[in-house]
Amino acid sequence: MLEIVMAAVVLFGLTLIFATLLGIAKEKLRVEEDPRIGEVTEVLPAANCGGCGFAGCADFAKAVVEQRAKCDGCPVGGSETAAKVAEILGIEVVETAPFRPVIHCGARTADKLGVVPYEGVESCVEANIVGVTQACTYGCLGFGDCAEACTFDALHMIDGKPVVDYDKCTGCGACVKACPRDLIELIPFKQESMLVVACANKELAKAVRAVCKVGCIGCKMCQRLAGDVFAVDNNVARINYDNYTGDETEEVKKVLDKCPAEVLLYFGKPRLERVEEPVAEETAAS
Amino acid sequence: MDGVTLGGLVGILLSVVLVNNFVFQGFLGICPFLGVSRKIGTAFGMGCAVTFVITMAGAITWIIMHGVLEPIGARVFQDAKALNFLQYVAFIMVIASMVQLVEMYLKKFFPSLYTALGVYLPLITTNCAILGACLYIYMKPETAPFLNALVYAFGGGVGFMMAITIMAGIREHIRFSDVPKPLQGAGVTLLVAGILALAFTGFTGIGK
Repeated sequence: MLEIVMAAVVLFGLTLIFATLLGIAKEKLRVEEDPRIGEVTEVLPAANCGGCGFAGCADFAKAVVEQRAKCDGCPVGGSETAAKVAEILGIEVVETAPFRPVIHCGARTADKLGVVPYEGVESCVEANIVGVTQACTYGCLGFGDCAEACTFDALHMIDGKPVVDYDKCTGCGACVKACPRDLIELIPFKQESMLVVACANKELAKAVRAVCKVGCIGCKMCQRLAGDVFAVDNNVARINYDNYTGDETEEVKKVLDKCPAEVLLYFGKPRLERVEEPVAEETAAS
Repeated sequence: MDGVTLGGLVGILLSVVLVNNFVFQGFLGICPFLGVSRKIGTAFGMGCAVTFVITMAGAITWIIMHGVLEPIGARVFQDAKALNFLQYVAFIMVIASMVQLVEMYLKKFFPSLYTALGVYLPLITTNCAILGACLYIYMKPETAPFLNALVYAFGGGVGFMMAITIMAGIREHIRFSDVPKPLQGAGVTLLVAGILALAFTGFTGIGK
């Protein structure tokens, strides 16, 4: 009995001493931390995905409060989180379009030409080193490194090409880094669905036709019809997303009708009946 | 004080740093040794933090043992070792308090090191090298005098710092080497740790 009492007394005494010591130290070594950092951390999604470019949500919160990052910098939380963060900081948030990935290759398995049986490691990085699994050296290899990189289950390989599930996608950019051919790009989704040039082949028309049924041949038709939205550079069309609002203007409609290849695809949520359907199918045959 | 000689102190220091290094010969403190040894800067910072904590903890636990537990045991129970069962609880409390202190200090004066060490800083609390050092100090006859105990604890920290810094240096280079895929990451790290420990057996015979 005496032992138990003594043990309690001794430990109580020691604890008291150390508690006092730490209490004093806490006062002396107090770090002035902005209380808003904690509040901002609370409203962030706590996914700690690093999509914002900072080491986790707490680090991003610190950066926002110290004005090193913008309040809409969180790709996962989107505008909802941005509004909450802005409210804490007492600033106005300007509505911006969320950035989502699009794939600059629309070739389905049947569209690819010169596909060679490949029995190596089932990975785009490996296949890209070998380089002979298909004739097109720019297009999607179809082994799904991007789908594997996605931590939100928002990217799936369907019919040989990656398809983004925009309901689940948070725009963290993991797939962009995973693609060894740099086919995935984050673009501002100003509307539910956006027009994308689904080809990255920089060869001339004949060489493109030889490797793919749906490649961009660099005919510059789109550039002629709507020069401020479309530009052909290195034999492949690109959309200038600063000027392209997502609206189907007369100009864009004309381009969709005239484009001789099947490379202009809508990515995103369904728009009319034209989702993911190759545009201008009749003219493509010519 | 009897038992304290300069030769003895140097012997203890050499012994605990090189020959009986906590990491390589004692298998103590392996968790931060493998966890924080990715960059030399961080590893050195971790080593410094551990050295500080281990020295303070060694000194304070010596005082607690010889100034509190033993006298109370001797007076109340007529047996100096009667309250020895409180060692672990008391020592862990000392270590935890010291770690809290280091954490506050780093947060105020070295915030970058504080973020770099991350979760491993509070984990110093459970660093077995520190508790090991405190328990060894009480067990070994040569560390009975206070100064010897202090040198022993400090040497243990320096040994840990040396080990983790060497490890970090090697690991920084391993990143550029062509390591077979199955061995990448943890595998090659553990191999390196084993070879390092093997190399340190070469010091056997120095001092005591």
